[in-house]
Amino acid sequence: MKTQRWFTPWLLLGPAVVWLLVFNLWPAINTVVLAFTNAKPLGGGSFTGLANFERMLNDEQLVYALVNSIVYMLVCLPLLLFLPLLLAVLLEKKLPGITFFRTAFYTPVIASAVVVALIWTWLLEDRGLVNGLAQQLGFITEPLPFLSGRWLLLFSAISLTVWKGLGYYMIIYLSALGNVSRQLHEAAAVDGAGSVRRFWSVTVPGVRTTMLLVSVLITVSALRVFTELFVLTNGTGGPGGRDMSVVMLIQMYSRGFTGHLGYASALSLLLFVITVGPMLLLLRLNRKAA
Amino acid sequence: MRTRLAGLALSSAVLTVLAGCGLSDTDSSDEQVTTTGEIKGTVTLQTWALKPKFTDYMQGVIDGFEEKYPGTTVEWLDQPGEGYSEKVLSQAASGQLPDVTNLPPDFALPLAEQGLLLDVDQADDKLRDEYVDGAVASYEFAGQTGVYGYPWYLNTDVNYWNSELLSQYGLDVTKLPTTVEELVAQARIVKEKSDGKIHLMSRKPGVEDLTQAGVDILSSDGKKFVFNTPEAVAVLDTYRDAFAEGLLPRNVLTDAYLGNMELFKKQQVAWTTGGGNSINDIKVDNPTLAEKVVASPTIGTPPLYTQGLSVSKRSENLPTAIALARWVTSPENQAAFAEVVPGIFPSTIASAEDPQFSVSDGSNVGDAKKIAFTSLAEAQMLKPVVVDQAMDDFIKQQFSLAISGEITSKEALDKAVDKCNELLND
Repeated sequence: MKTQRWFTPWLLLGPAVVWLLVFNLWPAINTVVLAFTNAKPLGGGSFTGLANFERMLNDEQLVYALVNSIVYMLVCLPLLLFLPLLLAVLLEKKLPGITFFRTAFYTPVIASAVVVALIWTWLLEDRGLVNGLAQQLGFITEPLPFLSGRWLLLFSAISLTVWKGLGYYMIIYLSALGNVSRQLHEAAAVDGAGSVRRFWSVTVPGVRTTMLLVSVLITVSALRVFTELFVLTNGTGGPGGRDMSVVMLIQMYSRGFTGHLGYASALSLLLFVITVGPMLLLLRLNRKAA
Repeated sequence: MRTRLAGLALSSAVLTVLAGCGLSDTDSSDEQVTTTGEIKGTVTLQTWALKPKFTDYMQGVIDGFEEKYPGTTVEWLDQPGEGYSEKVLSQAASGQLPDVTNLPPDFALPLAEQGLLLDVDQADDKLRDEYVDGAVASYEFAGQTGVYGYPWYLNTDVNYWNSELLSQYGLDVTKLPTTVEELVAQARIVKEKSDGKIHLMSRKPGVEDLTQAGVDILSSDGKKFVFNTPEAVAVLDTYRDAFAEGLLPRNVLTDAYLGNMELFKKQQVAWTTGGGNSINDIKVDNPTLAEKVVASPTIGTPPLYTQGLSVSKRSENLPTAIALARWVTSPENQAAFAEVVPGIFPSTIASAEDPQFSVSDGSNVGDAKKIAFTSLAEAQMLKPVVVDQAMDDFIKQQFSLAISGEITSKEALDKAVDKCNELLND
């Protein structure tokens, strides 16, 4: 007896498909549509062709935002790729009390990014703990402009990201390290390889796939950085807005009743493209290496 | 194949419908609406963060309205302070704007441009006779004919000084600065005598400071920004030189609104500006400081901050909505509100002589209130409402660069004007 019609799967899939279209695909398509208009939050936008993209070419703020986002990614990527791995190797050992250290390193991950950034603001401001201590100890005579210097501010934010991300990526590596063959380590040790050699020749190749995943995650989150810079700069993107990221720039244009949604959408598209680019490159490199 | 085609057709249909919504325009028709008629029925009133602190007051006002106009019901919605603009925006975009909504002028402008708010000047003959001119003018927008809100309560800034720090660093609290030049001179004394530990000045200039210096921000027809003048250059140069001398803390370059008040409360700076009731906030955060605070009139033209009630043009019960907005903003109800919230002032002409505002009880709280109320007579909106968030951010960024000496003041002003004009014409 035939009990299934051609539309039965569609009936079953229907709600999920509608959900997907409305809440996933529709906002993405709408962003693309808006990027070619001068839309405002209350409507009234008209088609402006490539005007928003032409505007990007002369946008000095965009240059700063792009440079900052790329610097952010280039500095964060190696640091967060290897430091958590080293940490995971150290914390993998079954020693008494090691769970405490694993938990301690994971604590910043649980803390809210805003709270963490606020604490760092208090630490790094001119009259904060870091400058105060450094002055007391005679290392510096004037406070270092951690929150008001063009590059120092950016690197303060990067430090915060690295500090907060260490525990997260460490946990990913810890689970991957469990799959690295113990026999290979023992064989390498018998052959006379020291711990550094074993790390590069056994551990790193063993977790290569995980490193690729971690690279993609770091790249995406570094290019989309917002909270750290926003809180450390009181929402201004640094002196003259020169430390803002692309996400902050998008936010700047899309806020409020008169938000410039067309340009903000065009910037979102650009961010999407520059985020997808490095990801594809990493995947390609991995395929070649495999 | 048939299945695949059906799936494609379904997806296409949904996408077409959704994509069609992308640029849907809010109705901005100039349709005539009936504003007169019997006052009865249900209307909604939306306020901004008045619950729970002022619930009793507002409920009393609402009860009074329902008593005065039997057969009316007011549904009161109070939105939290955080995210209020987003809430109103979503209400407006979805056609769910309450009948009467608390909107400051900058929130009202885009709604008025979309034809969503009632021109209360046209609907109410007595508007201009009963409310102070400056407050009514807050709801008149360049390029729009009409007034798009009943002014509610007003505020302005006064100067607050830490008398203890001033005396400690050799300044006379009876000879407070009245010009920017005097302020800079006294800031120099404080810096030198405190060995750079305390600052007097702690804010960078904004558009408001250019207006105070007599600079026109917009052209007379409101279609172009024109504030890149030699007078504006002089204002920025003054601050740039002061910054270079170390008379301002470095973090003013990344400071957000009220940054100077926060530093004042921490007693790291000796001067701040604030509303007429700011001493009450200082009392909460730093009670010992509050006793030492001395108030004085703001330097230059005092700013005017207006809150108002706008009426939705799409209200199904306009006569009642107008009556409610008038009732909430009546002299009696505003005077009672100002009693509950020290430091805010009524927008009605009838309140001008009220001694609760014009006479100080001798305390620094009373002095600040009196100074603020007196200042309102000459207060102006120093930043045109057309300056939106993106423009304001860009202007602040350019001013930061000028003050830090990275670019010249003229370059900063030229860039700011160009960007603002680009955004204005967007």
